[in-house]
Amino acid sequence: MSRARQGAGAGPKVRAAYGIGTLAVLLALWEAASRAGWVPRRFLPPISEVLVVFARLWADGAFPGHLGATLLRMAAGGLLAVVVGIGLGTAMGYRRSIAELFRPVAEFLRPMPPVAIIPALILLLGIGDGMKVVVIAFGCVWPILLNTADGVGGVHPILVDVARNFRFSHAATLRKIVLPAALPQIAAGLRVSLAIAFILSLVSEMIGSTNGLGYFILVAQRSFRIREMYAGVVLLAVVGYLLNACFLKLEARALAWHRATAGASTT
Amino acid sequence: MGPGSRRMLRGLVPVAVLAAAWEAAPRAGLVDPAFLPPAGAVLGAWGDLAWSGELPRQVLVTARAWAQGFVLAAVLGIAGGLVMAFLPTARAMFSLVVELLRPMPSVAIIPIAILVLGLGDAMKVAVIAYAALWPILLNSLYGVDGVERRLHDVARTFHLGRWRTAWRILLPAASPLIATGLRVSSGIALILAVTAELVAGQSGLGSFILQAQLAIRVAEMYAGILTVAVLGFGLNLLLGAVEGRMLAWHRGATAKETA
Repeated sequence: MSRARQGAGAGPKVRAAYGIGTLAVLLALWEAASRAGWVPRRFLPPISEVLVVFARLWADGAFPGHLGATLLRMAAGGLLAVVVGIGLGTAMGYRRSIAELFRPVAEFLRPMPPVAIIPALILLLGIGDGMKVVVIAFGCVWPILLNTADGVGGVHPILVDVARNFRFSHAATLRKIVLPAALPQIAAGLRVSLAIAFILSLVSEMIGSTNGLGYFILVAQRSFRIREMYAGVVLLAVVGYLLNACFLKLEARALAWHRATAGASTT
Repeated sequence: MGPGSRRMLRGLVPVAVLAAAWEAAPRAGLVDPAFLPPAGAVLGAWGDLAWSGELPRQVLVTARAWAQGFVLAAVLGIAGGLVMAFLPTARAMFSLVVELLRPMPSVAIIPIAILVLGLGDAMKVAVIAYAALWPILLNSLYGVDGVERRLHDVARTFHLGRWRTAWRILLPAASPLIATGLRVSSGIALILAVTAELVAGQSGLGSFILQAQLAIRVAEMYAGILTVAVLGFGLNLLLGAVEGRMLAWHRGATAKETA
């Protein structure tokens, strides 16, 4: 055990080399398996060909267009969820009577797979962007709502009392004391919702749309443009990775002061 | 009446208001009943579908795919997480691949799964297992990582071997986090089951809902959606209860420590 631990734990550079090496081997295996015919080409074209198609689709504007449509829907649905989730969540955390009123409904709807309401929304709103934005907002609102309610409810009462003693209005107390203190938990809810928003925009595009990446990969599969399908999946992996990385960076920056004060208070 | 039951009753108020609004709005013509039938009509359709055996049959199809995919993900996820936790070489090799694949939206593999496995149950199970894998794998890995230094020392003091340390000390200590991973994944598995059925299913609740919508059997469609909601709620309740019971010893042990 100790020998293995030394072998791979020697340093971040060695670990990174192991990781990149494994990735390279897997990609080489993909290429070889397809070229040698171990896997039928119609199931798995060589990665080199997929990447060539990827470059073409990016250069001719197909990928940027579909990606833009998907991201725009995500942003609209996510924004709606943020407004409703943080607004109602703050009210629920700040006033127990409001929490008691809404919590049972939220607890019932939260574990529901949000994709199930897509057919109903198609009926009510058509297959346009309105339907997609509402599905995304419906799926994203619960983690934000419940995390905000818990975060605001968990703010130490002394903080609120102090603010009130200094004659802060309720609005100022919320803005200056309560919401900043609840921010780490709100951020955690937002991070969960980011992944949900991405998934729901893709699913809604798969079921009823004429653009967006979800539409693109499903139609590519149905018309047997298999290299294009894989190129789309590669793009989704890249975008998913970048979205997550960007969010973590933003979160770290927004919460830097928080970590600093929390660290100071423990020392 | 105690404060607890009064709180429960207050919680039921918005439910009752919503139900009443759902009943009244279509009847008053505020919404087109063709798009949103009154709550009573949906409940009636629900009863008919349950009695005829149609809805239970669809629930069973979805539940079976869910269970197979979830068990597959649990086995692979716990095994993979433990291997990565115990073997630093394996961890260095695969953490980059995991890091790259995990943020990819899981539904992206639905077209690949359809291509390779067709439209049947195998496709559903594969998609569910893939999506449910990640939280279980990472929670198993971090669960073992987070085991206190003290417990490692105890194992060494008692001269437990490597395997017995893993089995008797590390795994039980990591179990709360693994259980959390399982609970998160169970919900993801249900989402993917319904999604796969909506996009490409030949049977199951997702495809039932879509078929009902396409055939304009609107009350039946809402009955299907209601069933999905109840299923999600029940599953969450069930796994919370199982987790609570299975980890009762853990809470007891850690509580004693702090006392």
